[in-house]
Amino acid sequence: MSAAQKRLGQVSGHLAGSKSVIAPTEGGAAGSGRAKLLQKNPDDIVVTACLRTPFTKGGKGGFKDTAAADLLIGAFKALLERSKIDPALVEDIAVGSVLPPGGGATEFRAAALAAGFPVSAAVRSLNRQCSSGLQACVDIANQISAGMIEVGVGAGVESMSLQYGPGAVTEFSELLESHPEAANCKVPMGVLSEKMAKDRNVSRDVQDAFAASSYQKAQKAQETGLFDEEIAPLTVKWEDPKTDEVKTITVSKDDGIRPGVTAESLAKIKPAFAKDGSIHGGNASQISDGAAAVLLMKRSTAEKLGQQILGKYVAASVAGVAPLLMGIGPWAAIPKVFEKIGINKDDVDIFEINEAFASQCVWCANELGIDQKKINPKGGAIAFGHPLGCTGARQVSTLLYELRRRGEKVGVTSMCVGTGMGMAAVWVAE
Amino acid sequence: MMEFRTQGMNGYAVKYSPFFDSKIAVGAAANFGLVGNGRVYVLNLTPRGILAQQTWDTQDAVYDIAWSEKNENQMIAATGDGSVKLFDVSVPAGPVQQWHEHNREVYAVTWNLQTKDTFASSSWDGTIRVYSPERPQAILTLPTHSCTYSTQYSPHSPAVISSVTSDSHLRIFDLRTPASASNHLVHLIPIHGQPPTQGPSYNPLRPRHPPSEALTHDWNKYRDTVVATAGVDQIIRTFDIRNPRSGPVALLEGHKYAVRRITWSPHLSDTLLSASYDMTCRVWSDGSTMGHPTPQAPGQLPVPGRQLGEMGGHTEFVTGVDWCLFGAEGWCASTAWDERLLVWDVRATMGP
Repeated sequence: MSAAQKRLGQVSGHLAGSKSVIAPTEGGAAGSGRAKLLQKNPDDIVVTACLRTPFTKGGKGGFKDTAAADLLIGAFKALLERSKIDPALVEDIAVGSVLPPGGGATEFRAAALAAGFPVSAAVRSLNRQCSSGLQACVDIANQISAGMIEVGVGAGVESMSLQYGPGAVTEFSELLESHPEAANCKVPMGVLSEKMAKDRNVSRDVQDAFAASSYQKAQKAQETGLFDEEIAPLTVKWEDPKTDEVKTITVSKDDGIRPGVTAESLAKIKPAFAKDGSIHGGNASQISDGAAAVLLMKRSTAEKLGQQILGKYVAASVAGVAPLLMGIGPWAAIPKVFEKIGINKDDVDIFEINEAFASQCVWCANELGIDQKKINPKGGAIAFGHPLGCTGARQVSTLLYELRRRGEKVGVTSMCVGTGMGMAAVWVAE
Repeated sequence: MMEFRTQGMNGYAVKYSPFFDSKIAVGAAANFGLVGNGRVYVLNLTPRGILAQQTWDTQDAVYDIAWSEKNENQMIAATGDGSVKLFDVSVPAGPVQQWHEHNREVYAVTWNLQTKDTFASSSWDGTIRVYSPERPQAILTLPTHSCTYSTQYSPHSPAVISSVTSDSHLRIFDLRTPASASNHLVHLIPIHGQPPTQGPSYNPLRPRHPPSEALTHDWNKYRDTVVATAGVDQIIRTFDIRNPRSGPVALLEGHKYAVRRITWSPHLSDTLLSASYDMTCRVWSDGSTMGHPTPQAPGQLPVPGRQLGEMGGHTEFVTGVDWCLFGAEGWCASTAWDERLLVWDVRATMGP
């Protein structure tokens, strides 16, 4: 290189190094919360691959005979295949799951090994009820920013077909029973949601309308292939209940999405938890099976490894609410994360708020003043299911692929959490 | 505003004479300093405009100039071929002496303001050299191991030399320390360090300042522990070297491209002037005389300082700016790649 070229390189370095605001920057004024959100920094925690298995109906769907660990193997294998990352670089894997005995710690570690991760990849399971999948991703992100690991996987899995049942909660001791708020922690979800719907005046019509729109959005999304990017098809063994014949099937679509659901058709269903109630199978989340996984690392690492960056994780919050009002969790958690990073609801393009029950989701959305069009644009748990520990990790791929498809940027994932909590996280698609 | 055209030469440095209020030296280079000759101008401000008293051509680009503090006719020039040349106005033929010590472009020169018997240069070769005009070779080499864009003698001590480098650090050398493996280095201050924040709340969107090349710095003329730095990340920072680990004291943001040169006012302890690739010169207060500043964002300590004025008269990268030491405070000169030297009054650029 000639001396002149070297000098030119030096001077152009002075200019290239500038994050100049002379070039138009997205998101308006450089000082605004959204503009700061969209900035790219080498120590951002980014998502370089995210996906989920299809969700299938508990007890009768495509995964009714598939163990949770096998679902997880499917998600892990697909994640390795899509990202083409060297599995030896993954240092830790967190798996959110609610129902398995022992938290699933043993079989999830085994699943990682079976999926092709070397013994050097550590695995843990964790349980924060319905937000376990999100908590897993957030934990991994925090481990990366704290410098504990370089590359990690946040995941979630649930086989409600095989593990849902009365055994999920230990008998309460006398001390717990004698403390009123503590005792409330074991009130069944349906019962307390019914109570909350009544308390907060969420009428059945409103719930049914919200649920019907979830079905309609999901049906349309499925028909137009909007789930194709996030779903990794999975081949499993399945026993035909009619013939007892065991077949090998490949599941590539959510099977809970019922076509042609309308508010009127939902209005005919009998309430499930109280005679005069408003909650029924059609306006509550479905019992399902599924797994999801998210590959996380620093932007600098991703660039070094040549990984495709789908989006970045920004921040998360967790909030506690009264156990009987667990459905209002997102209402508590979302403003909390907004405050941390100085943005507001108008800065967000899509909200993925888990539809545990239409009543609580619609109440939170209305209370926060969120535009209905921004909520769950591809439908939600009412239409395609809520495999408890998986949902939080599922929302990441649902959100990022939809933001990317629309050319939008900022998304929030949030859910209510049993025993009275809420979690929310902010993500930016790239 | 007065103007002088450095026809065919793109300006790189401008310095007011420390002896005359009407004399200015300009360092310039052909072809934007990439290839070709350099030129040193000695200009006089006269009632008939700015007139060249003397020019010397050099083989390679001239990137910086420093007047001798001892002899009103002499100045040194930093050139692209690695040499430092001493010129004397009474010798029009060429440099009276030169030192060829650096392996790469010399980007800065500074004259000792206290003892006035030494000067120093810094280069892209990662060293600072200290010279005496009486000696044919440099008398000391201070390694920085990084492309050194700027070096300065402290105006308060004859033994303190500072530099900023492309590795985003401010270095302070004290020549009174014994010669040792540290090569007189007493402070190594990361320029990109976090400004102090308040409260326990961790905000992932807090302003982050990754390391970036530092191009220029200057010692405050009144407060002997205050140094300002600036460079590629467009932010001018002030540091108090009594507490080097606390990060910057003031962050002055506003330039839209890299800052090429900053210089503290010789008259006012809080005022400094900057020149940038964004084609502007700006005048700033670091807030040290403004009383209690107000917080800019929640969770962040109030950052003092603000821009006082802006001069947009140049039409290319502004590379040099200097204050006039005499007369009414506020007169200054700037030079740019637009082949123009401008002499102007800072007060005219300031708002009400």
